[in-house]
Amino acid sequence: MAGSDDRAVLRRARGLGSAKSGVRHWWWQRVTAVALVPLTVWMLVLLLATAGEGRRALMVWLGNPAVSVLTVMFVVMMAWHMVLGLTVIAEDYLHHEGVKFAAITLIQVGGVIVGVAGVISVLWLALGGTQ
Amino acid sequence: MIIRRSEEQPRWTLLRRFPVPRGFHAASRSRVQAGREWPAPEGAGNVKRMQVYRYDPEGDERPRVDTFHVDLDECGPMLLDALIKIKNQIDPTLTFRRSCREGVCGSCAMNINGTNWLACTRALDELDDPVTVYPLNNLDVIKDLVGDQSHAFAQYAAIRPWLRASPPPKDRERLQSPEQRRELDGYYECILCFCCTSGCPSHWWNGDRFLGPAVLLQAWRWLADSRDEATGERLDELEDPFRLYRCHTILNCTRTCPKGLNPGKAIAEIKRKLLERQG
Amino acid sequence: MTERTRPRSPHVQIYRPQLTSVLSFTHRLSGIALSVGGVILVVWLLLAAAGGSAFGGLNAALGSWFGRLLLFLWTFALFFHLCNGIRHLFWDAVLGFELANIYRSGWLVVVASTVLTVLTWVIAMSMPGVA
Ligand code: SF4
Ligand code: SF4
Ligand code: FES
Repeated sequence: MAGSDDRAVLRRARGLGSAKSGVRHWWWQRVTAVALVPLTVWMLVLLLATAGEGRRALMVWLGNPAVSVLTVMFVVMMAWHMVLGLTVIAEDYLHHEGVKFAAITLIQVGGVIVGVAGVISVLWLALGGTQ
Repeated sequence: MIIRRSEEQPRWTLLRRFPVPRGFHAASRSRVQAGREWPAPEGAGNVKRMQVYRYDPEGDERPRVDTFHVDLDECGPMLLDALIKIKNQIDPTLTFRRSCREGVCGSCAMNINGTNWLACTRALDELDDPVTVYPLNNLDVIKDLVGDQSHAFAQYAAIRPWLRASPPPKDRERLQSPEQRRELDGYYECILCFCCTSGCPSHWWNGDRFLGPAVLLQAWRWLADSRDEATGERLDELEDPFRLYRCHTILNCTRTCPKGLNPGKAIAEIKRKLLERQG
Repeated sequence: MTERTRPRSPHVQIYRPQLTSVLSFTHRLSGIALSVGGVILVVWLLLAAAGGSAFGGLNAALGSWFGRLLLFLWTFALFFHLCNGIRHLFWDAVLGFELANIYRSGWLVVVASTVLTVLTWVIAMSMPGVA
C-alpha cells in the first residue's frame, strides 16, 4: 500500500514539471524597481512644485524637454512595475485557472492603457495642450 | 525590537494573531472548536495552562483545543516534558511525534505560542501563559499534533537530493578543499523539521506547487556542493514561477528555523545563480 | 477502511504576526494602493491634457479633507514601498540576511517612511498654491 501511495504523492509533487521560466519576470521587476527609485523622487518633486498651481504651471514645467522625458519614463516604468507586481498577486491568491487567466489579462490590458494614456497626456501637455 | 537569533522570543507583541476571522480560509471540517478543561491536581503550586490542539480521527468531531493545567514543579524543563507528562498522567490519548529530545531528529516540530519550534528545545519558563500548542501549519492532521508530511517529503524527493556526479576514478575519493566544504556550512545542518515551510505564508497559499524554504535550502545545499555535476539540470528544474519564484522574501523561514539556519538567504543564492546564467 | 477527510491544521488563523510577515504584507498592500493611485495619477494627467472643467473637479475632490486623507495615505504607501523596495533590492544581491540585520533594516524602513511622509506634507502645505 505504502509503495503505490508514495508514488501518487511524488507524482503530485512533481506536477507538470518545471516551466523553465520566471527569471525574466523577476528580473524586469527589479529593473523597473531600480529605475523607479530616482524617478519616483523626481515625480514627487514635480507634483510638489505644481501642487495647487493648476494646469498652467504643469504645462510650463512639462514644456521643458528634460522634465517631460523624465515624466514619460516615470509613467512607463510605473505602469510596467504595476503589471508585474499585480500579476504576482493574482497568481498567489487566485486558484481557479479561468479566473486567474481573466485577472491577469485584465491587469495587462489595464497596464497598457495606463501607460499609453499617461505618455500621451504628458506629451500633449508638453507640446502646448488643448487651448 | 531587534531579534538577533531565531531562538529569541519577542518581549512584547502587538498582536498574537492576524486579525482575521477564526474560520478564515478553513474548510468547515478544519474549524477548531472549544475543547475540554483538564484541571490541575490537588495542591499543585506552580501551574501553567497549556492549550493543545486535539483531533480524533475515529470520532466525527471537528478538531478542538483542550486546556491542560500542568504542575511545573513536577515536570521537566522543556515543553516536550510537559507533553509527555500530560500523556503519562492526564490523557494517554494525546498524540505527538518525538524521538531524540535534543533537537537533532526534527520530529517534535510544532506551532508553539504562534511560531514553529521544536518542543524539546523550548523551555517552559520562556513561554507565556497560556501556552498554545498546534501541529505544524497547513498539514492534513492525522491525529492531534501529528500532521501528514508526505507532500513535504515528496517535494524534497522531487529535487533528487543526492550527489549527481559521474563515478570517480577507482583509486581516488572525491576530494573537497576546506574552502569548498565551508560552502555547505549553514545548509548541511538542516534537520528537515519543516518548521520553516509550515510557517511560510507563500507555502500556505501555493504549497501544492511552491517547494517551500526547507526543500529550497536543500536544493541550494546541492548547488553549493563542489562535487556535484548537475548544477545546470538542478537550475532547470527549479526555474519555475511557482516552484521557486513564489518566494517573496517574507523571511518567516529565517525567523523561525530552530537550527538558526537561513533558508531565505539560500533562496536568494538560487535566484542569483539563475540570473548569472542569463548573460 | 473508509477514512473521513482530515482537517487542515490552522496557519494564518493562528501564526503569530512578526516584523517579517507584517512588513511583507504591508509591502503588498501598499503596492495595491499605489496601483490605484497610479491610475488616478494618469487620469489626472489625462484630464489636465484634455483641458475641460473636469480637471478642476478632480482637483477640488483631491483638495477636500477626504481627498487629502487619501493623498496622505498614498504618500505613506509610496515611501514605504520605496524604502522597503530598496531593502528587497539589497536582499536580491544576497546582502543583509543576518536575522539582526533583517530586523534593523525593517525598523529603519518603518521610521524612514514615516519621517519622509511627514516631511513631504510639511513641504506641500507650505507651497504657495496650497492653503
Ligand atoms: S531549514 Fe531549519 S526550519 Fe527549515 S527544515 Fe531545516 S532545520 Fe527545519
Ligand atoms: S523568504 Fe520565501 S521561503 Fe522564506 S518564508 Fe518567505 S516566502 Fe517563504
Ligand atoms: S525530539 Fe528530536 S528534535 Fe525534538
